[in-house]
Amino acid sequence: MVSPFNPDGDRERFWESVCAGETAVGAIRSFDASSYPCRVAAEVPRDLLQGGRAADDPALRMAERAFERALEHAGIAAGIRAPRRAGIIVGTVLGGTTSGERYLRARAADAPGATEALAQYPLRATVAALAEKAGFAGPILTVSTACASGTDAIGLAYRRIASGSADVMVAGGVDAVCELSFSGFSALKALTSDRVRPFSRNRTGLALGEGAAFLVLEREESAKRRAATPLGVIAGYAARADAFHVTAPHRDGRGLAAAVKAVLQDGAVGADEIDYVSAHGTGTPYNDRMETQAMKVALGVRAQRVPISSVKGALGHAFGAAGAIEAAVCLLAIRDGIVPPTANLEEPDPECDLDFVPIRARELTVRTALSLSAGFGGQNAALLIRGWP
Amino acid sequence: MTSSAVPIAGVGFIRAPDDEPTEAENRARRLRATLAALSTEGTPIRLLHGIEELAVLAAHEALSRSGITMPYRGDDLGVVLGVEEGIDGIKARYYQGILKDGPLGASPLTFPLTTPNTIAARISILFDLRGETFTVGGGNIAGAQALGLAVQALRDGYSTMVLAGGVTCVEQEFLEAASLVRRSGSGRPGGGACLFLLGSRGSSSPAGGGQLLGYGEGFGANDVPDAIQACLEDAGIPPCAVGAVRMAAVCDWRSVVQAVRGADIGVGISHSPSSGLYSASFPLAVAEVAGQPASGTGMPVLVVGRDCLAGAAAAVVQGGK
Repeated sequence: MVSPFNPDGDRERFWESVCAGETAVGAIRSFDASSYPCRVAAEVPRDLLQGGRAADDPALRMAERAFERALEHAGIAAGIRAPRRAGIIVGTVLGGTTSGERYLRARAADAPGATEALAQYPLRATVAALAEKAGFAGPILTVSTACASGTDAIGLAYRRIASGSADVMVAGGVDAVCELSFSGFSALKALTSDRVRPFSRNRTGLALGEGAAFLVLEREESAKRRAATPLGVIAGYAARADAFHVTAPHRDGRGLAAAVKAVLQDGAVGADEIDYVSAHGTGTPYNDRMETQAMKVALGVRAQRVPISSVKGALGHAFGAAGAIEAAVCLLAIRDGIVPPTANLEEPDPECDLDFVPIRARELTVRTALSLSAGFGGQNAALLIRGWP
Repeated sequence: MTSSAVPIAGVGFIRAPDDEPTEAENRARRLRATLAALSTEGTPIRLLHGIEELAVLAAHEALSRSGITMPYRGDDLGVVLGVEEGIDGIKARYYQGILKDGPLGASPLTFPLTTPNTIAARISILFDLRGETFTVGGGNIAGAQALGLAVQALRDGYSTMVLAGGVTCVEQEFLEAASLVRRSGSGRPGGGACLFLLGSRGSSSPAGGGQLLGYGEGFGANDVPDAIQACLEDAGIPPCAVGAVRMAAVCDWRSVVQAVRGADIGVGISHSPSSGLYSASFPLAVAEVAGQPASGTGMPVLVVGRDCLAGAAAAVVQGGK
């Protein structure tokens, strides 16, 4: 995993920062944001992403680093036996948009030499580069479902493993802060000018974030055979559509509630068994209210008791990477028995009246966690994650 | 019909090359009628870009031919759409607005269309389809991968019906940029969309649209041979059972011919007339053969596509009656 807290991919450093309630949101450095009314984001310093070619796309660099760390941690960095049974699914919204911007800027200025940036622009360029480097020749896919992309990538990979069509799947998401997306969210007046305050009365919007996270999924027998020590188990996955609006969520959380009900069914788990919920929690007025409603509908009385938190107060919104980062948060919460806090939640919103774990982390045995994502276009996805038996 | 065959309940497809004004007028008329029919509360529905129009028309046609009531209002019908280069022109123009006018150049109306999933979302919203909705980006094989994902979801029981396929709207600017990095196939400006309604409800009667017997993908040095082999295995048929081969968009047609012959498939190989339409090309090639018996033999057709980044895909299609 790579995030503003751990540009080097050090997972434990990431986890310490998240649990300490730190925030990575600060002044934008990756482009000149001085003409915008809001000027903050949570970025990975670009100089710390070097290691490849200077022209490399930042999303590609973050993806490569996170992918390598995931393989190392799983103990398969040295290679795999059956490449055709090993696949990759990358969730991304923007792909190599930073490279596309570089090309268009150069073209507008009639400057030569920008065409090489185009090679890293296509949505599918990241998954192709990762697969080529790792020598994987199994299912290779790019999924783009707005802010649910990372969750959907892991969910679809879980299904490949469950159906037996692959032995190993590496799945996750990546996105980098860029002016194209920043300007759009600015025009939609969805950005905060200072801090992200999920579920707060005084929340003012989201901040763009960035990063990459990948999980290595394999069949249980395979993990046992090679004496691996997995972090946990993907126990269920579901996705549903709001079918409501291109940019706004359904006010009652219709699609998200349906996804949560479906994932409980997929994992054969009762709402009472959920020990922790990693919320989408963007810090926008509509999302947080909608999500509260959806959890009440889908989890019933359990919604009033289960600890729920959003790491976006700390990390901003990393779009295609967000769901994958949050799945990793669930695994670490299960491992350490710690529920991370919702950073900056100082004044709870009466309309968001659930236990959103404000400010401070909480020690708690977590056996089963639920990770939620919701995005533009009414995309909703839910993952059920359990500890390794 | 093999046990894993997926029925095609209906198909909608459009090819929209820029040089056919009569077709464009017909399309505009059909679009107006479709949107008027979908506008249940009297509020006009406004689509902003040609790629949305193509996708909505194809979706409407596929759902109509399948006997699906619209709006559907159910979560057992999802959407899987291959979209990649189709929004490149939108993104480029949006960003050029920023370069020219700064924050004032950012259109809140256009911005959502810079997000690849907006086209699938538009279909989901207009037809009220609340099932799983995915957008995949695989260049030439994006539409193929969408079909593959839908086939898997149906076979594994995650969906009852899926509206799946690809859509593109290729602009001259994209072709020029693509040619600079040699990732262009034989593309030309224009658009296309092809959507299938795959699967069936107990009560619905498939419109004789044929079946997808098998699907396979390959990646790496042996992508095309691997895709063909995986596809034939999936369909459970030997190479000699293939009646014809149709090439969708491919970045290197010679490698496809070589792989087909290497797989002991000796039948004729033809280029799909839709091969310049990137994300839409594979589904369009499937549609070209799904409605009729191949070469009059009634034997299934192998459709093959290849992308220089995303690998290769193959499907075995049985024509309808």
